[in-house]
Amino acid sequence: MSNQYEVSEPPTDAISAIRFSPYADSHKFVVASWDKFAYLYEISDNKQCTLLNRFEHRAPVLDACFGKDDNEIFTACLDCDVRRIDVATSTQDVLSTHDAGVRSVAYSKEHSLLISAAWDSTLHIHPTSADAEWSTATITLPSKPFSLSMSPSKLVVAMSNRALHIYELSTLAEECKNTANALQNRLDIEPWQRRESSLKFMTRAVDCMPNDEGYASSSIEGRVAVEWFDPSTESQARKYAFKCHRQPEGEVDVVYPVNAIAFHPIHGTFATGGGDGVVAIWDAIAKRRIRIYPKLASSIAAMSFTSNGKILATAISPGFEDGKEDMAEGSVAILIRELGENEVKRKAK
Amino acid sequence: MTKKKRGHPDIEEILARPWCYYCERDFDDLKILINHQKAKHFKCDRCGRRLNTAGGLNVHMNQVHKENLTAIENALPNRAGLDVEIFGMEGIPEDIVQQHNQRVLTNYHQGEAERRAATGNPASGIASNNAVKKPKFESPSDLKKRLAEHKAAKLAAEQNGEGSSGASTPIVGQAQPAAVQPSTQVASPTYPPYQQSYAPPPSSTTFSAPTTYNQQPALPYQPPGYGTPPTGYAQSPPPQQPPYGQPPQPYQPLYAQPPQPSFQQPPYPTPNAFSPPPYQGQPPFPNQPYQSQVPQNGYSGQVGAPRAYASASPASPFPHQQRTHSPAQNGLPQRSGSGSLPTAPGLPQRPAVSAPPVNAAQFQQMHQGQILVQHNFAAQSQPQPHPIPSSNEYNPAAPYVGMPRSLSNEATAASSIDDLISSASKQADANAAANVPKAATPKPTTPVPPAAKDEPADDKAAKKDKDKAAKATRLVYSDNEISPEEKMAAMPKYAFMPSQKTVQV
Repeated sequence: MSNQYEVSEPPTDAISAIRFSPYADSHKFVVASWDKFAYLYEISDNKQCTLLNRFEHRAPVLDACFGKDDNEIFTACLDCDVRRIDVATSTQDVLSTHDAGVRSVAYSKEHSLLISAAWDSTLHIHPTSADAEWSTATITLPSKPFSLSMSPSKLVVAMSNRALHIYELSTLAEECKNTANALQNRLDIEPWQRRESSLKFMTRAVDCMPNDEGYASSSIEGRVAVEWFDPSTESQARKYAFKCHRQPEGEVDVVYPVNAIAFHPIHGTFATGGGDGVVAIWDAIAKRRIRIYPKLASSIAAMSFTSNGKILATAISPGFEDGKEDMAEGSVAILIRELGENEVKRKAK
Repeated sequence: MTKKKRGHPDIEEILARPWCYYCERDFDDLKILINHQKAKHFKCDRCGRRLNTAGGLNVHMNQVHKENLTAIENALPNRAGLDVEIFGMEGIPEDIVQQHNQRVLTNYHQGEAERRAATGNPASGIASNNAVKKPKFESPSDLKKRLAEHKAAKLAAEQNGEGSSGASTPIVGQAQPAAVQPSTQVASPTYPPYQQSYAPPPSSTTFSAPTTYNQQPALPYQPPGYGTPPTGYAQSPPPQQPPYGQPPQPYQPLYAQPPQPSFQQPPYPTPNAFSPPPYQGQPPFPNQPYQSQVPQNGYSGQVGAPRAYASASPASPFPHQQRTHSPAQNGLPQRSGSGSLPTAPGLPQRPAVSAPPVNAAQFQQMHQGQILVQHNFAAQSQPQPHPIPSSNEYNPAAPYVGMPRSLSNEATAASSIDDLISSASKQADANAAANVPKAATPKPTTPVPPAAKDEPADDKAAKKDKDKAAKATRLVYSDNEISPEEKMAAMPKYAFMPSQKTVQV
């Protein structure tokens, strides 16, 4: 379709993350790839997407996000390092080093915090303002973190064994300051909420609602759960889960993992991307599917909306499936879809 | 109304069947075809809505699902395009129609040939036929006599001028059959009575003589160009007479007369006149054993084929035939080949002795007369002709009616479509086969809910099954402990070398 086009210089290997700049009127996005590069692209008005720069790492890059502005990028790398990249000068600083590959990074502009999650079951909390009086703090998690998402006030960490922690960012920031000089910067903080995922299988992705009320999580078993932060029983009663990204083959439903969830920053609807290469748009409140897009060439690896919600970027990569020694052959591409006025808008009742 | 029990339909019937442009399947009825297209080719795979045309589906996909329709589902590879707007039988390009007709024709002839091969050749003719036939052919004196006559006739023909005799006689002789044929076929239900009315006049005794003549003199007439049909027929009457008695003969008196004048020797012309009858003779006797027809068919098919094609063009008989046609007939011969002749095994067994000598003798004679004929015989003598050769086999006959080389040329094209179809059907079969075990296996694994519900209605049970099936799932990624990213990270190509780390840090 005319309103969807491919980025001309995609990464050469599987894509692990794609993230638009959260800042207004910015059309830049950063892409992390298994080809050991982090890419910075910008979409211009005339449907052109240009590669501004790319930054080499020592190992595959598993996640990336913007910092305090479009000039600052943080990356999570398989070499255990969390890096800060200054776009203008292309300089890289290692903020901290985990004991295992770093899976995700998330930046809170409200609290100037960078939080990284690594497979050594730790979170690192980095102060990013120059005048911070404390250095990186470490939180030990009960399990390996698989996905990280931040709302203006909360941090949601989805882990293996269906564990899920919700932290309040303000508390985290406070604690970090207080224990600045504690031994080894270990932070023994109880999460604001400990939850068990409402999905029975491994959590694949989590994303918070832009209105700060809840989050959606997805599992490898083609299912998405929508939950609310509010611990009151009324709010908890609202939570639900639904099946998606399944394809009947004969009489067997082939179930694909839901690899990506992205909330729309304005409408509060969200997109899910599955291993089947399908992107679907959902209305979390009305519990309706708004739209389903045609199947893409390979598995959806990551998705992101622009801050104004007018563009959806979808990264596709060959999926890692059962019984495969190697990764499946498949195309790696980034698809930019310009959304129509009401394309992902919640339908009026 | 009248019984149409023959396993193999008329060529017109087959040609008249509505067929689907996208998958070349044919149907009993236009309505069924349209339903088929809506279900198989114009169905939206997103929401299951059935549209009427490809264009409609395209618009639907665009507007409802924001997608572009690129190809028609379940279509043959070269037919999946959106450029032609098809609705039922409307909109099919003329050349595709021609191609389809050719394909049907070839299939029909092929099926006919196989039927003949399977039923007739291994043991041709019933014992009684052979008894009549055999001695005549075996006697050398007869052969010599025939040869002499043949040569004389050949000479005569040459003197007369090949074209004139060939052209003039058939026109006289065939003008009638041609005129008669369409009408009789249109009225096919009433056809049997029509025959019977003719049956009485010719008594087998009176015409047993002609047939004997025919066999011998038949050859002389080959040169004129109409030799093939007559000889075939000449042989066939003897075998035919016992089983049929009446049928073949009714035509003898009818046609025997007109041609006579054109030829020097009265008995000989009959062959020309008979060339149509064999074709006509087939339809009315659906239930008669094939074997008896076999020798005749060898030629009647040839003669009949072109005639059939010619007569098919008027299209008048179509609507009528649609009704009487049963769906299975068409598909069988073309797909499964020789094995698809269900009637063969049930037929009475006949001595295998008779046929070969006959053929051989005639073969020899034909050899002198006409190459075309010989070609036919060669093909006929092979019990299971290869698909394409067998279809070509009829080409020699085609020129008689004026469908010259086009048949053979298009035969190849048609066969390629056949391949497409057969491969598609094979694939479909394979898919179905693949699905069956899959469907079968998961069911046991899914826990069968305790039979709480008492005997539900059939549809309810079906629904239950469906639900159960829906529960059977297969995870694309089922490792619940280790994420795909971790597995990828463990792959050698992404391995991080600590040495590098030390270098940098």
